[in-house]
Amino acid sequence: MREYIRIMLSMIELEIRRIMHDRTELYLRAVQPMLWLVIFGPVMGSLKVIPTGGVPYTDYIMPGVLVQSTTTVAIFFGLVMIWERESGILKKLVSSPSPGFAIVVGRSMAAGTRALFQALLIIPFAVLIGVRLLPNFLYIILALVIVFVASSGFAALSILIASILKTRERFMGLGQVIILPMFFGSNALYPLKSMPPLLQLFASINPMTYMVDATRGLLITGDTSQLALDIVAILIFDALLFLLASWSFKRIIE
Amino acid sequence: MEAAVSIRRLSKKYGDFLALDNINLGVEEGKLFAILGPNGAGKTTLLRILTTQFEPTAGEAFVLGKNVVSQSEELRKLISYVPQEMSVWTDISGYENLLIYSKIYGLPAATRKDSIKDSMELMDLSDVANNLVSTYSGGMIRKLELACAVMIKPKILFLDEPTIGLDPATRKTIWEKLKALNRESGMDVFFSTHYMDEADNYADEIGIINHGKLIKVASPYELKRSVGYDRIEIETDSEPSKHALADLKRLNGVKKVELEGNEVTISAKDSAALLDVIIECLLANKVHVRKISARQPTIDDVFLKYAGAKESKKAPVQLADVKKFRDRIRRG
Repeated sequence: MREYIRIMLSMIELEIRRIMHDRTELYLRAVQPMLWLVIFGPVMGSLKVIPTGGVPYTDYIMPGVLVQSTTTVAIFFGLVMIWERESGILKKLVSSPSPGFAIVVGRSMAAGTRALFQALLIIPFAVLIGVRLLPNFLYIILALVIVFVASSGFAALSILIASILKTRERFMGLGQVIILPMFFGSNALYPLKSMPPLLQLFASINPMTYMVDATRGLLITGDTSQLALDIVAILIFDALLFLLASWSFKRIIE
Repeated sequence: MEAAVSIRRLSKKYGDFLALDNINLGVEEGKLFAILGPNGAGKTTLLRILTTQFEPTAGEAFVLGKNVVSQSEELRKLISYVPQEMSVWTDISGYENLLIYSKIYGLPAATRKDSIKDSMELMDLSDVANNLVSTYSGGMIRKLELACAVMIKPKILFLDEPTIGLDPATRKTIWEKLKALNRESGMDVFFSTHYMDEADNYADEIGIINHGKLIKVASPYELKRSVGYDRIEIETDSEPSKHALADLKRLNGVKKVELEGNEVTISAKDSAALLDVIIECLLANKVHVRKISARQPTIDDVFLKYAGAKESKKAPVQLADVKKFRDRIRRG
């Protein structure tokens, strides 16, 4: 157990050190969510067609936009794995005493860390443009923990995909194909009730729905009635993908 | 004494392609062992099986007495491996790379700093420790990888083409350091290479591999002696007639005469004494010599004898491999 924690912490430290040296990716990836908040939010909001339960529309979509951008960071972490496959880093790691499961969970949490840094850019920006967060420090911390944990699960998904697709070109194509359907098929931009039944069914198995519900409750509305369910759903998603990714991980270097 | 590496009837298949074909090999502890072969001969596959990255299709292999399949976990604590491709993170500093690897390998916190410092000094990297690896040259990157590998003080070090794409001076320093480590701390080194001179100069024993088959294992000296003859290479103005070749063959001490275009290769016992006679013989046949050279057997000759050809034509050289190799050269 101690060995697993040591390896996970090393991977997280590695990621923090990389971020300290070069934050360009985080800044560039922050542009898109900022556009959602600055342009899409106010314009859609002014039409007043989406029932948000009295919350300004930009505030309503802020958690969804946050979740979309942090999961994007996590999903594209697979590119790092592909680079590490093309270089010899993964070969070196699998011949090290680190168990495959620890490597996969460690790398996933490294991506979760990167996603967390992304959140730390977006949340202050949202506040700056007038999104009103609940003034509850504990809730904000819990929301950040959820972003970290859930993004780690998405990173494991990207490691799984990387171990199947193996090349950069294929991966680039798929990355977008995953994020957007999950984003539109969730409660990020509109309530579940406004969706056709088939899409509602999809949304109910879409992990992003649970991330959005949890962070929206904690950051904006204060409605935490589903929070326990959200957390359980996210943990199941994480556990499943950690297992699948570490099972397929060895194939990535073959 | 336990064998460093012991391999029995080992084979590895990728689909229909037989990458390793029934390999048997024993390497004693304390040696620098070179596995020598052209691109695509099976060197990398062998190293990756020995470092527990994947399992063989048939047969078994032991490293330091541990089975590479059933005891892989214990084995991984004893070995270090430097792949042919780059194995450090380029967007952090050299020091940070060693720090992260030392943590992944679980070096005790109390001695970690010293281990890092020692291995950086050993590889002459102290001055650039805090620079980003992306600013390093190819040689510096290789030294950093070796620093990572020796930092954890492995019992055996596996190196896959450790000097590929490096300049001769860097190659020499790297080998001298590895040799010193082997002699002083008894660390076994098992490396693959396609540079004949490296195998000849630095290995205690050489295994020649081609098309997945291990053809011959012996010390460089024994290998060269087994070839036996000096080689005299002659470039002529025109293609020598059959008559001329027959005359050459009859000369005292000449063992074999081969012709390829305008190039005659003669295998002989004592080349120094023969040069005059050979030139005379050729002139008598109206063949003019443009260039003549004589040399003692080298590992190249050994390789030609045992592996048949310098380049393996049948083996599929993967595009990715070529790309990796080029990348490394570009970093040079």
